[in-house]
Amino acid sequence: MSRADAGADTGSASGEKAKRESFTGTSVKRVEDHRILTGQAEYIHDITPEGCLHMALLRTTHPHARIESVDTSKAEDHPDCALVLTGEDLVEDYNPMPCGLEGFEEWSLATDKVRFVGEPVAAVVATDRYVAEDIVDLIRVEYDVLEPVVDSIEACDDEVVIHESVGTNVPDGECLEFGDPEGAFEDAAHVVEREYSWGRISGVPLETAGVVATYDPDHDEFDVDCNIQLHTLVDDTIYETLGYPPEKVRVNVPADIGGSFGTKIAIHRYCSLASMASQHLDGTPVKFVEDRVENLQGGDMHCTDRKYRVKLALDDDGTVLGLDTWFVDDFGAFPRYPVNQALKPLSVVSGAYDIRDVRYDYDLVLTNKTSQTAYRGFGVPPHLYALEMAMDEAARELDIDPTALRHKNLVQPDQMPYTIASHNVYDSGDYPEALDHIQDIVDEKEVCEGGLLDPAVVEAKREEGKYRGVSYTLLIEPGVSGSDWTDRQRSDREALKVRDRDEVAELPEHLRAEVRDDGTIQAWLAADSSGQGHQTIVAQLLADELEILPSDIDTGYLDSVTAPTVYGSAASRMAVMLSGAAKGLGEKLKGNLRQLGAQEWGIDVDDVVYRDGGVERVDSGDRFSLADLAAIDGGINDPKTRVSYDYQHPVTELPEFDEALRNKFPVYPTAAFAANAPIVEVDTQTGQVEILKFYSLRDCGTQLNPDIVEGQAHGGLAQGIGAALLEEFGYDESGQPQAVTFFDYLLPSVKNIPPLELHHTETPSPFTATGAKGTGEGGMIDGPAAIASSINAALEPLGIVADEIPATPDRLRRKVREAQE
Amino acid sequence: MSTDAPEQSERPTQEISLTLNGESITAEVEPRLKLSDFLRNHQHIRGVRVGCEHGVCGACTATLDGRNVKSCLVYAVQADGSEVETVESLADDGELHPIQEAFHEEHALQCGFCTSGFVMATRELLDEHPDPTDEEIRTGLADNICRCTGYHNIYDAVRRAADEMEGAGTEADD
Ligand code: FES
Ligand code: FES
Repeated sequence: MSRADAGADTGSASGEKAKRESFTGTSVKRVEDHRILTGQAEYIHDITPEGCLHMALLRTTHPHARIESVDTSKAEDHPDCALVLTGEDLVEDYNPMPCGLEGFEEWSLATDKVRFVGEPVAAVVATDRYVAEDIVDLIRVEYDVLEPVVDSIEACDDEVVIHESVGTNVPDGECLEFGDPEGAFEDAAHVVEREYSWGRISGVPLETAGVVATYDPDHDEFDVDCNIQLHTLVDDTIYETLGYPPEKVRVNVPADIGGSFGTKIAIHRYCSLASMASQHLDGTPVKFVEDRVENLQGGDMHCTDRKYRVKLALDDDGTVLGLDTWFVDDFGAFPRYPVNQALKPLSVVSGAYDIRDVRYDYDLVLTNKTSQTAYRGFGVPPHLYALEMAMDEAARELDIDPTALRHKNLVQPDQMPYTIASHNVYDSGDYPEALDHIQDIVDEKEVCEGGLLDPAVVEAKREEGKYRGVSYTLLIEPGVSGSDWTDRQRSDREALKVRDRDEVAELPEHLRAEVRDDGTIQAWLAADSSGQGHQTIVAQLLADELEILPSDIDTGYLDSVTAPTVYGSAASRMAVMLSGAAKGLGEKLKGNLRQLGAQEWGIDVDDVVYRDGGVERVDSGDRFSLADLAAIDGGINDPKTRVSYDYQHPVTELPEFDEALRNKFPVYPTAAFAANAPIVEVDTQTGQVEILKFYSLRDCGTQLNPDIVEGQAHGGLAQGIGAALLEEFGYDESGQPQAVTFFDYLLPSVKNIPPLELHHTETPSPFTATGAKGTGEGGMIDGPAAIASSINAALEPLGIVADEIPATPDRLRRKVREAQE
Repeated sequence: MSTDAPEQSERPTQEISLTLNGESITAEVEPRLKLSDFLRNHQHIRGVRVGCEHGVCGACTATLDGRNVKSCLVYAVQADGSEVETVESLADDGELHPIQEAFHEEHALQCGFCTSGFVMATRELLDEHPDPTDEEIRTGLADNICRCTGYHNIYDAVRRAADEMEGAGTEADD
């Protein structure tokens, strides 16, 4: 499918809409780039107001200990010390931080106990960061060291309980059944049951968290500049901790944020502490920038760490009759607010397969580790990984070709839109065709003489102990999350069964714009950006709506007080939500401008049209440009050249989603997908995996900006490679973190990235305004499962399965050794 | 809790003189001050970014006497008498340097936090290998981390910059 209007004729004098060039759908170059490339971009690390003081944190080195005493006297005696805060000080004046589940009490600085290495115990404010760190070293803390809880399965025994007031290390869990899983397993000819584990990873953006907080004593309010993600949604984590109403805590994000991938949703500890410190210092601005070691060991930003048990029920011919998954997710020390990653996999519970009888069972487990927050994919990557591993193992057990087994079970194009067992709906796509297509490409290019999978070469390599293989997988990226379901775990689950559709409340996306005197447009986003190019996308979309050039549009960011509460940039929402918002905003503004013209001319609004960046009288062809209209509108109290628009989530209009919405099951109305074929080579002597080439056919519906879409795929796949092969926050048995620098937490570098061949198709979504689907998380969702499955294909002769992720050399080497024994 | 007003303590400092992006500067610095922090916090050079402070990510890459260094691994006092260049020296009056232009054209940046480091690494790479092979690009960029782009477009940007700068003469660029 092609982008029909890209590059069409623009300059027609008649200005016919059909002939205008559409910027949406073309690779408009990013407006963000110039300031970044020249070093002018202002990230939070660069913001240092006059007179600003600097904060450093004392972090515990114990995974689990009772705090007996904190002696700050030497620190306070230091001549450069402005302030020392301890947990006790906080309890007097502030609140605990909001927690993801009921019954927990987590303070920004530990009070009674420390529960993970890196947990902050005291904050010091001084003239500069070097000195603040000197002073931190002067604080003396006495601990009563307790036994740590490290292994998530052992944690379930509750022999040592981390939160006495909660009374258990397993504060929540749920067993959901869809269809009749029990019946499916009873009737099955084959049941395959296996275990898998997914290591603790995270997004680890290159820019760490940062905040500059300023208290205003005259108005008793706060200004908080920071790089938090979802600043209009999770500002409650800051104002509630401070004990202030929302309008008293203005959270502001810079235009440039150095990556987030979900992880910066949970930086409120720092924002709150800097705000408290500024309040104690009568409004002196206080800055905190997390350093990398702090970030990796105690930055509240670890992500899924799961152990799975997956059962598949199959017929003799390979039809999957039932799916039963159970997992424990090692949350670390606290359940992070606002929502954890346990439930999103329900939006793709059966992957690309047509499986009606499903059990989804999970336990959330607390251990003495850094807490989790979100990371690209939000719990889906491990689920799809575990499911695809089980498919590979079922194929082996039934002695069926794994690709044939997958084909047999794929959702067919005539089933679209397809309601999955757990009530989410896949919007569109031809999965069998995509899987065939990628296989044809690989067959033609690689399974031939001179190709990477030339049978002779594969054979010769195997003689050297190097096993090559490829697997073809079709994986789905659920996009454009609804918001109502996200508090399911804090809801009365029984009451959900009888909930009314009217009680569902989704969050919109907000966009604002104003015509400036020179006829250009100033637009504002209520969401933050961390590299996705939202300013460019808004300019493209609005330029099309208003029939002007993207370069005539600037986009800024609203702070949390000025903006309404919206969801923001997460869950692959923005492509779809911004398209809808831009369309609505454009229509509203054009309507206003026609009215303005009609008033000025003294004619009926129906006799005025909007065209080519201005309004026009139908009878005479007279025009007012945008600049004219700004002048006409000037000085009026309720200006017509300034508009805002809230685009409501598309599911609110779609009855297909009623069932999911009522029950608070995850709602993701777009299903982007990828057919992947990474060709891997496993060196059985070292356990090293090399991806020789990664073929991927990707479809995210209509593309708003193909360059940006492709960039998201590249970056996501790189993170997928890291997750599959390199990255892990290991802990030793005593609860000490093993990955606290970039020497031990291995991010993919240029050396780990294989040649990549991407193909794109565009199957528009029937559920969204432009046909776009969410595509911010793709490669990270579909990369790991695809790579692990190719490892299985390579090691099939040895009977090995990549049942632990990351598939590091030592793990694979151990399996090879065991297989060869 | 204490809220005593801070008064600057006496800590040893040392005077350094260096050329920063063509300008001579003199400053009093503590011996423990990292060059990255000196550039960022004392000289307001934002293009030097700090992603790890332990020499892995390369976001802080700057040129010290003609060689790229990770400025987080160098003390400011070590730059005494030296010539330091940062990404700020590249654009000419707002006009992007061909390497910067190539990064823009190829969409080789997303969040941009790594970008100055990659631009500086590319500059050194193209100085040494005006027409680099893929292997040379790989080696030349191996000391920098980007978490967003997956590197493919960075490769393309390096190739484009090499093409653009050929003919213009690579020495002239330095
Ligand atoms: S900040 Fe210097 S190498 Fe990372
Ligand atoms: S663009 Fe974000 S780290 Fe490279």
